Amino acid sequence: TISTSCVRCGKRNFKKFSIFNKRGSRIFKEQRMDPNYDLPHDSIFLVKYSFLERGVRDVGYYVDGKFVLVPEKVPELIVPDLKDFELKPYVSYRTPDVIQSEFTAEDLFNVVYASKIVKDFKEGKLKEDGTPVEPSPEEKMTPEEAKNNADRTGTDIF
Amino acid sequence: MEQVEWRNPKGIQYKPNTVIKRTKFKFGMHRPWTAEFREENAPGVHHPKIFVEPIKKWSFFRGDRVEVLVGKDKGKQGIVKQVIQERNWVTVEGLNCVLEKMGERKNFPGVYLQVEKPLLVTEQVALVDPSDLQATPFEWRFTEDGEEVRVSTRTGRIIPVPASAEETIDYKTKSTYKEQPKDTKADAVTEITFEPKLKTFEMDIMDKMNIKEDRIPPKYYWY
Repeated sequence: TISTSCVRCGKRNFKKFSIFNKRGSRIFKEQRMDPNYDLPHDSIFLVKYSFLERGVRDVGYYVDGKFVLVPEKVPELIVPDLKDFELKPYVSYRTPDVIQSEFTAEDLFNVVYASKIVKDFKEGKLKEDGTPVEPSPEEKMTPEEAKNNADRTGTDIF
Repeated sequence: MEQVEWRNPKGIQYKPNTVIKRTKFKFGMHRPWTAEFREENAPGVHHPKIFVEPIKKWSFFRGDRVEVLVGKDKGKQGIVKQVIQERNWVTVEGLNCVLEKMGERKNFPGVYLQVEKPLLVTEQVALVDPSDLQATPFEWRFTEDGEEVRVSTRTGRIIPVPASAEETIDYKTKSTYKEQPKDTKADAVTEITFEPKLKTFEMDIMDKMNIKEDRIPPKYYWY
């Protein structure tokens, strides 16, 4: 084996002798002595840049080697209160199979708008071309207004 | 199931997605999560190809009464103890056994264990008709309710699938499963809380959180 740098980095060639535990520098052995070593850990050699392994951003920045915390960078996890919440991570084996048909746009139309049309028709409140005599607020909207409402924050039209 | 012997390290100087791994595993009496299986399929261990007849519909379940057709115990009936589908094998309780000596040392002669040897489902074993307790060929047929069952071709009697076939490591039967603290109950799962509204998910959340949005987005055109 060849060493490509002038620094040996604690590497020793003891192939002639059968001794145990000869691999690794003193720092390497100290790290392995840690009982938590087998847990998933980031690259120990690059502690400063270990966030690069996991995708976690640093909570501040380094100035002259010293770390400066930026409070705005600390993530704030907003978790709702789960008291009296019945849904749990797993589902019991006793549940029967749930078979649901697809919820189509037609079903949504039937739920939201169809009843008004039927009611108007039965009471005779529809004009000859089909427009309602007593329009609801949704029916009074112009096409531009409706498009603007649909394009607000939370739109799924792109 | 994946057994990777070598994976190229991460780095731009290494060829990406270079993996040396095993594609064909040797299935024996030991299940894939055991140490013996891992030893048999260690990287570098080769074994001759094992030919397994592909069976479209598996018909032998644990707890089934079955007759052995070959070997020392020919003609005897027993209950299926273990099923190994990867090799078309079935182990019958107490039949087709072999004495294995274990733990022999200098001062100790060793103990003998009676171990069942597996039988091939296609040739060496036959299902037993419950009406007359004789071996029968069988077929899968549909009942009037639409349920698929095994029917013996000689008598026409339905051979039911035994209840112990439903057993897993979590439960003996689904209805006797003991609910754990992290399990959602059946009524909470099947409850329908969906109220259809003409709003997207985000708009619904905004309404719930009282976030008012009055801005009109600028006009955009697709060309």
